[in-house]
Amino acid sequence: MYQSFVGLEIHVQLKTETKVFCSCAANYGDEPNTNVCPVCLGYPGTLPAVNERALEMAYLVARSLNCDLAPVCHFDRKNYFYPDLPKDYQISQFHRPLGTKGYIDLEFRRNHKRVRIHEIHLEEDAGKMIHAGDMSLLDFNRAGTPLLEIVTEPDLEIGDEAEALLQELRRLVRYLGVCDGNMEEGSLRCDANVSVNLRGAGLGSKVEIKNMNSSRFVRKALTYEIARQQEVLERGGSIPQETRLWNENRDITETMRTKESAHDYRYFPEPDMPPFTADEAFLERVESRLVELPAPRRERFVSYYGLSQSQAEFLCDERATADFFEAAVTAGAAPDQAALWMAGDVQKWLNRAATTLTETALTPARLASLLSMLAHGRIHGKIAKQTLTRIFEEDTDAETIIQREGWEQIRDETVLGEFIDTVLSENTRAVDQLKAGDARPMGFLVGQVMKATAGRAEPQLLQELIRRKLDYNVIHVLSFGGAIAGRRQEDGLVVPGDLVDVHELFAGDPAVPDSLRFSEVQLGQFLSEEITPADWAALITTVNETITSANTGGVVIAHGTDTLSYTASLVYWFFSDAPVPIVLTASAVPGNAGGRSDAVDNLRASILVAAGEERGVHVVYGKDDFYPINLKFERAGYTAVARGAAGRAGRDEVAGDRSDFYAGVFRNWNKDGLRRSAPALAAEARELQRAELTSRLEEALSSVFVIKVYPGLSGDALISLMDAGVRYFILEIYDTGTANLRETPFSLRKAFDEGARRGVSFFCTSQQEGTVDFSEYVTAHELWRRGAIPMGVLTTESAFTRLVAAMLVCEDDRAVVHTMEEAE
Amino acid sequence: MWPKTLKNAPGQGNYLEFLARRDKSVGAFLHVTGSIRQNGGAPSDSGADGGNTCLEGVPVAVKDNIAVEGMPLTCGSRILEPLVSPYSATAVERLERAGARVVGKTNLDEFGMGSSTETSALGETNNPWDVSRVAGGSSGGSAAAVAARMVPVALGSDTGGSIRQPAAFCGVYGLKPTYGTVSRHGLVAYASSLEVIGAAAESVDVLEAAYAAMSGSDVMDQSSLDHPVPPPDSGATRIGFLGGELGLSPEVAENYARFVEALGDAGYETEEIALSTLEYVVPAYYTIASAEASANLARFNGVRYGHRTDYSENPEELIRKSRTEGFGSEVKNRIVLGTYVLRSGFQDQYYLRAQKIRTLIRREIERAFAGVDLICSPVFPTQAFPHGSKEMDAFQQKVADRFTGTANLAAIPALTVPSGLAGGLPVGMQFMAPPFGEGRLFAAARTIGEIFPVEFPPGMEPPWAADRE
Repeated sequence: MYQSFVGLEIHVQLKTETKVFCSCAANYGDEPNTNVCPVCLGYPGTLPAVNERALEMAYLVARSLNCDLAPVCHFDRKNYFYPDLPKDYQISQFHRPLGTKGYIDLEFRRNHKRVRIHEIHLEEDAGKMIHAGDMSLLDFNRAGTPLLEIVTEPDLEIGDEAEALLQELRRLVRYLGVCDGNMEEGSLRCDANVSVNLRGAGLGSKVEIKNMNSSRFVRKALTYEIARQQEVLERGGSIPQETRLWNENRDITETMRTKESAHDYRYFPEPDMPPFTADEAFLERVESRLVELPAPRRERFVSYYGLSQSQAEFLCDERATADFFEAAVTAGAAPDQAALWMAGDVQKWLNRAATTLTETALTPARLASLLSMLAHGRIHGKIAKQTLTRIFEEDTDAETIIQREGWEQIRDETVLGEFIDTVLSENTRAVDQLKAGDARPMGFLVGQVMKATAGRAEPQLLQELIRRKLDYNVIHVLSFGGAIAGRRQEDGLVVPGDLVDVHELFAGDPAVPDSLRFSEVQLGQFLSEEITPADWAALITTVNETITSANTGGVVIAHGTDTLSYTASLVYWFFSDAPVPIVLTASAVPGNAGGRSDAVDNLRASILVAAGEERGVHVVYGKDDFYPINLKFERAGYTAVARGAAGRAGRDEVAGDRSDFYAGVFRNWNKDGLRRSAPALAAEARELQRAELTSRLEEALSSVFVIKVYPGLSGDALISLMDAGVRYFILEIYDTGTANLRETPFSLRKAFDEGARRGVSFFCTSQQEGTVDFSEYVTAHELWRRGAIPMGVLTTESAFTRLVAAMLVCEDDRAVVHTMEEAE
Repeated sequence: MWPKTLKNAPGQGNYLEFLARRDKSVGAFLHVTGSIRQNGGAPSDSGADGGNTCLEGVPVAVKDNIAVEGMPLTCGSRILEPLVSPYSATAVERLERAGARVVGKTNLDEFGMGSSTETSALGETNNPWDVSRVAGGSSGGSAAAVAARMVPVALGSDTGGSIRQPAAFCGVYGLKPTYGTVSRHGLVAYASSLEVIGAAAESVDVLEAAYAAMSGSDVMDQSSLDHPVPPPDSGATRIGFLGGELGLSPEVAENYARFVEALGDAGYETEEIALSTLEYVVPAYYTIASAEASANLARFNGVRYGHRTDYSENPEELIRKSRTEGFGSEVKNRIVLGTYVLRSGFQDQYYLRAQKIRTLIRREIERAFAGVDLICSPVFPTQAFPHGSKEMDAFQQKVADRFTGTANLAAIPALTVPSGLAGGLPVGMQFMAPPFGEGRLFAAARTIGEIFPVEFPPGMEPPWAADRE
């Protein structure tokens, strides 16, 4: 087993107005050689004079990275010849850097780590040389601009982690306002030191990697380099100490210079500048510039505003966005709504317009007032979206737009009540039908009132008022296969069937209120083990139509037991934000068994939950209201006796002791922290046409494979699947994340190596209840090192459906992986 | 003190012609201005910024390693031969603001590396007392220009004795100020931690006036300092003279003995002192100076200014060839030595050890000044030696720096004063004072000047003599 050590040397260009040792403007993008003077051009006789603003920024970063701050620091000369280095030495810090012994906390794929900062020092940048034909051209605008070098200890292990660290550091310097953090333009640059050795043997020989011009290249280059070194060592070779360059065209690293030709920088103290003393006034200035950093701010957004981790990450990515959010909340917006809108429609508009939040006409106050109108029902969601677009386009506030457009909804109960009374009195037949138990006229009546108000009636309130006036509530029952809708034949076998007439079934049932009306939809005649992607597509589009229609009090999905944990979690990823309860249920015994079937009990319980107040997705079975994700079909209490008795011998025995019969059939794994209601992961995809959704589901399913790891599983099998087009594996591994990665055909090792080459992702769930976080065993850590993604508390079924849902809404593989990493 | 002849236009042409004429035999100048600029283009605000009107109209020569805007800045080297300075040194600006006029740039050992001005790649400078002899170095041109009555004062730089030794060779005053009191901005760096701008002058008065105008902290040089307030007492009563076997030529030894005696005659208490660190001065000095020089001279690469080789395949070759062609052998010698002593793994043995010695020297000097107000010593073991002297080869010249190097390593001020003639050639002796003790040096120089007045080479009449009242 090998261990990899990665340390980074990160250069941060400080955004000072003037250069670090002279008073030239620090705008290196200007016309070449315009921001230069005798000092930064290295003219004879000139001397450096340190810019205290640069030192202030440097100390600020060091302070924010928890460094020990040097009370006195001095500069050293680093000697090397290069045409773009005016003095042929660089003024840097070597003997007494301004910051030492710091750290930054990092979380990558559930692995928490404190990456130590070895030192931070201030230095000057060089100019830029470009080769044009048989000439070399030099631009010294950048020469002498302040550069902060941050050197980490070799605490990182993999390329992905290095990328995450760079991104966090980028956020940090942007929060502090000392750098724009643009790697492509070179304002943030990174070199890396990589060493691989047998586990426990300490550091191996050090290889320096340069020329990585984006955080993505850092990840790719390090991933490549670690694998390369490991392969060399496995073959019995050794790694020479050298400097290598990342070749972004070939995706490999190549030798640049060996140890023998390494520079001897001959550091010695800079005699032209006295040591810098960080006195009290200076340190106070540094202290006054401290800001709340991204990491604590994210934590606060989760704990204080109750946002999800991913919402907090989104909002805190940029300080301006997080500030905007908090300002909107201060202006009265509900935190969850503000977060939802900012990550949703606001961001969509920004992407389309290719702009940033602060450059638009949307202010926190305008967003807050828009959301408050929505919350108070003065406008509905669709109008709110239109209003938002108008705010961006017209630079005015929501109130003005709504007044001018006449978009405000009628939500005065008295006014609406009058419209309703008129419509009801004019449509007595429809009213009678409703009273008789038919739900269908509801849509018609709502439509009539809408028409009467010229479309301005607030639909939810309107529905609520009609319901109240006529005293009824519509529950949509969707029949989606399974025994609950099936029939038992004479020979005892269960076959697919129609759902029983619910209205008839519960007529006179004292537990079911008379006010309920039922609308039944038959989605398919199959047993739940026969579900196809087309069936799922049909279910999703139907549920979507149902919850968006005006007359829905709740939805019940009658399903089978076998695949319920899949469908329930899939429904959750699509509809966790539903405005009404969505209840999945199932039965083991067909409904045509009448009062003696569990179908009737489960349906009744489901209908009551669906008619209740608790929005979100439920799974009702027996007396239990389960969470839709992490549902496990365990049959613990569902004994052969019960089944046999129910099936053939006689159903009376089943009816005798119902509680035993239901107990332990389903269970939620890792129940703590599960929710029914949340922003929906795949809300966009549910708007797709059924045929389109079907084909996208089929496509997604064709690139996913679920594998249960077992002793003797061969890596080659997985590689064959990759050949067949599988790009994502759900690996159900042992315990909290262990699997065999030894050098043997009966391990996953080859599959991981090959997968890394092909960009295949491995999402790991457990065969036992527990959290997969790779924290405990060295084999688990090895999985993490090799890029496996721990799925935390999610079960295989829920991880699988999350992956499918993610593939429908994500633009690329990276986004899919990120969505999976963010799983609760 | 100074006739105003040169202030206004009519006299100028004649003066510049005079300079050209007289310099034919001396070779003090590498460049003489075509026209003397008034105030150097700087606003005349002599009231502010310590301006000293007694320099009004005074012609001044500037060593060619100190920047004067619009004039060459060759450092006596081929590699900077084409360079015209885009700016002026702070010291020059301040002198001009005080009324002085820069008339030209004087010859020097290449980048100040030498004690004879013979390593200059651009010209030979002769001693005005005897043109077959050297004027000393590295500020040989400046000292010679003053001795030849071409200017009353000339700027030089002193890294290890580079003002004081040529001043002694030419029989004039030569000041090496306290490190940091004169801004180094505009002084082409050779050994940054040792060197300082100073001057050679015909009189203590003009020297003091020039120093007063030049000194004081400067934002362009963060190692620059103001004199402490109040300044150290300018009166001295006790003078320690360096005793023991000093390896002097018979002429210098005899002169030194007379000088020490004269100190007593002038009323000073004298006592013989010994400096145990004396034998370490030269090794420590050359180690530190070469180390710093190896970095300071790295910037001369032909890329941005100065000599560039005619043809090169790539930028790296351009640098290599330009430097090979542009530097003289003494410069290359010291760059190689400096690179050697700074190698990683060898710094302890050389560079850091030299820094420790430097600290010991500084401490010994501090201790010495607890007992005496000034230290007196010879400047150089010999008088001006002949051009191309075999006895005084490059190595012997370095060994001979032992009396002057101490002041640079200890960052203290030192002043060469004329001490009469021997065999028709001048001799000079040196006073050293504690940091910021320039006033004490000037006072002592005036006192001893009563006994050893400055003398000039026969026949070298100044152009301004006719105007003297």
